[in-house]
Amino acid sequence: MNISDVYRHSLVIAFDYRVPDPSRVGPLLERKTAALADMGAHHVLVYRSTQEHGRVLVMTGVHSREPVVEVMRSGVLWDWFDSVGMEEIPAIFAGEIIARFDLTEPLRASAEPQVPGVVVAGIVSVDDVAVLTGQLDLAVDRFKSAGIRQMWVFQAFDDSSEVLMLSELDDAASAQRWIENPDVATEWMTHAGMGVYPPLFVGEFDRIVRIDAAH
Amino acid sequence: MYVCLCVGVTSHTVAEAVACGATTSKEVAERCGAGAECGRCRRSVRAIIDSARRGPTLDRVE
Repeated sequence: MNISDVYRHSLVIAFDYRVPDPSRVGPLLERKTAALADMGAHHVLVYRSTQEHGRVLVMTGVHSREPVVEVMRSGVLWDWFDSVGMEEIPAIFAGEIIARFDLTEPLRASAEPQVPGVVVAGIVSVDDVAVLTGQLDLAVDRFKSAGIRQMWVFQAFDDSSEVLMLSELDDAASAQRWIENPDVATEWMTHAGMGVYPPLFVGEFDRIVRIDAAH
Repeated sequence: MYVCLCVGVTSHTVAEAVACGATTSKEVAERCGAGAECGRCRRSVRAIIDSARRGPTLDRVE
């Protein structure tokens, strides 16, 4: 399963939250596939924070079958949060992919699969999304040198200035260096954590749940 | 971001309610509906209120 294929042509619903036992999230999702299918989900990716116990980032790829607000009111999300024991519901990002940067080398057919990297994710408001993506485009060589494998940019439906930035890096050391010394094109990271926006998420891929439309 | 799932209210709408004078989660609920039903979004609402009060600094939503 290529994660890039999941995000391509998708709208995503994402939320970042804390649960007492993050190991329950994946099995829970796998029991909810019928409800997720009704919501229009085709894949759910779960990332676990490597820095804060219990913090989880969930990215749900959704077909655009219904208006986003109706999807979020569908009850599936409430059921989800109830099932993991959450009283407070986090703010939720809903948007679509607007830019993707794949900095990996094409794998030879005989090559070993790449070890999953470390993800760094943030949701922020920027002055100009087009300027941001232009800056990112110009910085790809520097990103590659910094150990970034892939980067996805999602733009929110409810606020065209709001973006979710998701990056995969080679390892934890690369991620930490990058966070501590952000490139000018990724200065947005210094604004993560303001207001309703969660702080930067640093974590690793936990699992992917594929939702069969036949459910 | 969507803050209130019950009524589909976004963080932008809540921020506007705060800019118009709402200083408590109750006042935000009265102005735009966020937090008026199940109330499970009030932490996010308070984060927006606190952020507006303090200005552009880091406010962690724990």
